[in-house]
Amino acid sequence: MLESFIPALALAFSPEVILYVAIGVFMGITLGAIPGLSGDMAIAILLPVVFFLEPAAALGLLTGIYKGGMFGGSISAISFGVPGTPGSAATAIDGYQAKLKGYPNKALMTALYSSVIGDSTSDLVLIFLALPLAIVALTFGPVEFFALYAFSLLLISALTKGKVAKGVAMAALGVLLAMIGRDPMGGTLRLTFGIPELAGGLALIPVLVGIFAVSELIIQLSKAWMERASRIMEDTRQKAESLLGDYDASKDKLTMREFTATLKATGIGTTMGTLIGALPGAGSSLAAFISYGLAQRFSRKGDEFGKGSLEGVAAAEAGNSATSGSTLIPLFAFGIPGSATAALFGAAFILMGMTPGPRLIYDHTEVIYALFLILIYANFINLGLSQFLLPFYSKIAMIKSRILLPIVCVLAILGTFAAGNSVIDVWVLLFAGLLGVVLRMYNFPLAPLILGFIVAPGAERALRQALLIGRGEWTHLLSSPIAIGLYTVAAIMILTFTFVLRDKK
Amino acid sequence: MFHTITSRKGAAATAVAAMMAIAPTLGAASPLGSDPIRLVIPFGPGGGSDITARVLSATAPEFCGPRIDVVSMSGAAGLEAVNFVRNAEPNGHTLLVTDYGPIVTSGFVDDVDWSHEDWQPIMNFTEWLPTVYTRPDHEIQTIDDWVEYATENPDTLTFGHASPLGLVHLPLILFESETGLQNIHVPTSGGGETRSLIMGGHMDLGMTLPASIAAEVASGELTALGVFSEERSPVLPDTPTFRESGYDVVLPAWLMIFGTSDVPSDVVEHLQDCFIEALASPTAVAMSDRVNAGIEPLNAEDSNTLYMATVESIGNILRDIGEIE
Repeated sequence: MLESFIPALALAFSPEVILYVAIGVFMGITLGAIPGLSGDMAIAILLPVVFFLEPAAALGLLTGIYKGGMFGGSISAISFGVPGTPGSAATAIDGYQAKLKGYPNKALMTALYSSVIGDSTSDLVLIFLALPLAIVALTFGPVEFFALYAFSLLLISALTKGKVAKGVAMAALGVLLAMIGRDPMGGTLRLTFGIPELAGGLALIPVLVGIFAVSELIIQLSKAWMERASRIMEDTRQKAESLLGDYDASKDKLTMREFTATLKATGIGTTMGTLIGALPGAGSSLAAFISYGLAQRFSRKGDEFGKGSLEGVAAAEAGNSATSGSTLIPLFAFGIPGSATAALFGAAFILMGMTPGPRLIYDHTEVIYALFLILIYANFINLGLSQFLLPFYSKIAMIKSRILLPIVCVLAILGTFAAGNSVIDVWVLLFAGLLGVVLRMYNFPLAPLILGFIVAPGAERALRQALLIGRGEWTHLLSSPIAIGLYTVAAIMILTFTFVLRDKK
Repeated sequence: MFHTITSRKGAAATAVAAMMAIAPTLGAASPLGSDPIRLVIPFGPGGGSDITARVLSATAPEFCGPRIDVVSMSGAAGLEAVNFVRNAEPNGHTLLVTDYGPIVTSGFVDDVDWSHEDWQPIMNFTEWLPTVYTRPDHEIQTIDDWVEYATENPDTLTFGHASPLGLVHLPLILFESETGLQNIHVPTSGGGETRSLIMGGHMDLGMTLPASIAAEVASGELTALGVFSEERSPVLPDTPTFRESGYDVVLPAWLMIFGTSDVPSDVVEHLQDCFIEALASPTAVAMSDRVNAGIEPLNAEDSNTLYMATVESIGNILRDIGEIE
């Protein structure tokens, strides 16, 4: 294998490839920063370009977009409270509070460093573990996958601090929303109420952007109106709230001490993100939320979470970025894309005449080694370019909200439409936004809802496949040691969270 | 690295020059307007249909006249794309690129306001041949093994087949109704999942399209039992057809370009000619080879024969299993 390494090195570090990586990172950061638009969408649009590029250059471009997009999403999450990408939804919780308190730059820098640390670690895991994990992964059949999905649903619901019942209820609602559309096993229509447009179910992007972003926009807009109305009533001629006016950029610098204080959270995020990223179908938003929840449990300043904690930003951002390398493991291991991004990389491989799967690394050793190298050094390009761009982007965050909010709103709608060329998606976006407003008003946690929605299709398929193969015997679900192990760990964790950690609060 | 790209650009420049030379005659003969042609696909980006359509969109503009865009609309399980083309102006600028699922099967089982006669094929890209396969250490290694085992142990073999009533499920239903065999049908999310469940020993048999298993069959990691087609698949030359083994079950899938039936015949003819010409160009052939698309175009008339035959056989299968009246 080593003899392929030198040509791979030359390939990965050729000026052309480095240039494409840099272009990709720049595009990714910029697109990711626009709510609704994500790196995934840019990859989809650029797929045909890989026809005309050399494989290494094409993979460099796509990798750059992917990594840039992952971090770019947190720019709008922190700046506007609107997650630019699904993965950055958890970053928005503390990042946006930090911005409201007047230190967006600290939050953005924390996000950048934890993102790069998480991402690089995950890439190393991909490089060294892709092949060993491939062998283990084949032992996962429907029985094991269902146990895994059930495990992740229980975990995220239990991690909702102080309101486990609400968490479980939201996860159930997410599962219910995911069931709209065609029954994946029988083909019958479910919960569509005779509306043919719902036959394909609700798409992920409108539901996600709606629940998280549109609801936030609606609340902020109504706040702005309320303030204006009350000002008129009191007839106070106070200066309109302008954060740009009293924002002191010189005080908003991340210190070394603040950075080291976030390292534990970054470590938790990196570990969870790498593990969860490797599971097919779980994805970066799940990783971010679980990391966030765990970091809060294990933090000495856990009560600062949700109020602008830099640890919260670091955990969420490390968690979502650490999926980026490991999400490619199932693709390399058995040709199964574990996430939308991995699916797009898979399509790119096919377009270049390379079949994703266990043989990929043997048949195209040079290109894959070059990709591994690119995955690593793209992180440093991301770091450098982001540090250069952030001063400009964080100023955008301080534009007055009456100008900014309508622009963000329009971008979210356009981005959603562009993702599927579908007007129905825009309606789903708006309805999801209203649902989000209601849920926020009654203090329901949104993360379990989204997780339920994302995990449900895979969980349902695995459950029903397992029952078909087991001839309808429910005991078949306990026929595998891996599954029994997962259920046991889930039970222990839930009992711990419910009884032991409750007293601590 | 650079020179490859430049040489392609060079080829494109030559082609553009050649096109400009014939442009006046083409312009006079073309019944198309100057707006772009939209090839609408009822699936997400990155799949086989998208990739094949993009070979055409990259090569056909110089032969057809206007620019060609591929638009992916996977909403409402593909019906959004079908309705979009159905409601567009019938001038040949908005076309549907699809396999038989969203048009033939949906036309039977879904509540749609069109019938199969409301569509006319313009060109067929390729035929996909559904293939049954398993892992090499399974006791079933041939079509006869399968029939023998399933006759002795009915309803015990698990068979993975992607979405129900899809391209790689209907042939199984047809085969079972011809032979009277019974298997446990297990839907999966697609070819990749079927393959890993079979390789991991979680299921016995599966069906897929040849391109997705050709590499594994060649390297001995999977065994292909048989193909539901009239002739053997070019990428699986050693795999027999079911017909060769004495079971007359043939149900290939195809990928066709459709317009609505009210698109004028001179437009259909122009599109058919320039598409086929484009796909014969060296660039298109090179692209097709690179992505293993196996493009062998059929003209509008032959495509229509194939389309009507598929409508009839799918209708028979669906009536047989009681899906439709």
